[in-house]
Amino acid sequence: MKAFANAILNLFKKPATIKYPFEPTYKPDDYRGLIVHNPELCIWCRRCEMACPPKAIIFSQALDGKQTYHYNRAVCIYCGECVRACPKPGALIQSGIPASPATKEENINNSWKITVDEALKSRAAYLAQKKKGEATE
Amino acid sequence: MAIQYDIPVGAQHISLLEPLHFKLTTENEKIVDVEANVGYVHRGIEKACTSKFKFKQVSIVVGRICGLCSISHTTAYSQLAEKLLNLEIPLRAKYLRMLVIELDRIHSHMLCLSHVAENSGFEALFMQTMKDRETSMELLEAVCGNRVQFDYSVVGGVARDLKPEVAKMVLEHLKQLKPKIDDLMDIFQNNWSLSLKNKGIGAISKENAMRLNAVGPLARAAGVPVDVRNETEDLLPWKQVGFQMILENGGDVHARNLVRLKELYVSMKIIENVLNGLPEGDFFVETKALPEGEAVVRLEAPRGELFHYGKGNKTQILERLKIKAPTFSNIPAFVEMFKGNEYASAPAIIASYDPCLSCTAR
Repeated sequence: MKAFANAILNLFKKPATIKYPFEPTYKPDDYRGLIVHNPELCIWCRRCEMACPPKAIIFSQALDGKQTYHYNRAVCIYCGECVRACPKPGALIQSGIPASPATKEENINNSWKITVDEALKSRAAYLAQKKKGEATE
Repeated sequence: MAIQYDIPVGAQHISLLEPLHFKLTTENEKIVDVEANVGYVHRGIEKACTSKFKFKQVSIVVGRICGLCSISHTTAYSQLAEKLLNLEIPLRAKYLRMLVIELDRIHSHMLCLSHVAENSGFEALFMQTMKDRETSMELLEAVCGNRVQFDYSVVGGVARDLKPEVAKMVLEHLKQLKPKIDDLMDIFQNNWSLSLKNKGIGAISKENAMRLNAVGPLARAAGVPVDVRNETEDLLPWKQVGFQMILENGGDVHARNLVRLKELYVSMKIIENVLNGLPEGDFFVETKALPEGEAVVRLEAPRGELFHYGKGNKTQILERLKIKAPTFSNIPAFVEMFKGNEYASAPAIIASYDPCLSCTAR
């Protein structure tokens, strides 16, 4: 009898769930989201690259020595190790923005492999050129 | 003699959350013999930790072993690395680790309780328990910044400090959670239809639990006082924050439910004490030392004693890492538990055992 009354009463109660795509879910202020890099503050020490467990950060280097930061949000596990390893405050921060899902057009896995290969090659090319320059001097 | 039938349960089965295989030999619906196979989710994490990752990254990697006791693995490994480095961490970091371990215990125990209810055929109680569990998930997200993979303990302390407003929020939410757990306690204790599937089912005696080295809630439900929080004081000061041992007699599914429910109260008390007596100071110490020697760490995960062994050789990469999960220690007792029960009780027994296969096989 009590169960029957409960069942009737439940018809007029609000649901315990939320209508997710239309209503936002709970998100704390310091949510662990995307890693944001600031090239103006960065001192290019590559410590974040060395600290990153899944290798989601890689630096490529042009022949004149200028480095570029590459980051893959689908490889990143948002642990924040890179931010802790960064010696310059503000150069690398963890924002509260959740990552957008990867789409097929981006080809995120294969293009990331190509990016890593190219970055490693560009660094090797820069080092080879530097060595050559030192030898000629 | 009656005909014996071998019935396989798993590796893919409707009542199992994870790939666990049993071969139940039954005779007139009674289970007479059991074989268990737990090696379906081997991922080679131990090898990866000793070949691919630096020792400071390993604490993030071992967190990925299991989603439910992620913080237990991370904390156990961080303590292991600190032992290898001879590093003393601040008291505040220890307190914050205890806070997250206990929040994790609340959500893990509630998940187990809900699955016991579901596998006993009480779907509505499953929904209710999962709804209440959401509170603890939200609190974990507020403290750690993520719902499942906490990555909270790192070598040298914890990853982030606790904000005062988050501490306040945790206390408020726990106050709201308490009456809900009282309701659950009432249903689990007094519901007649649940008692048919729980009381006297899957019982293990105290002697058998001791002989087969059971750990965790399974052993405590049989009356064996086994809890790492009661035994070690050097790594985390459990007794300072009001740890209490929960013991039950009987060792059946019902007793295990009660142990888990009562441990929720203990966990909430510990969290309150941690937050009210949180010491000031640093939460992280930087170190440049390299791991050397051997060390062993034990930690009470939600399912029982978690054991980490590590060996360092003064390089960035560890020489050996061995993890023994509580589910693995409990398998002999678990196999014993099945015998003499009806085949139809098997799902409830499996759920009350709370198996975590990702931890066991790694």
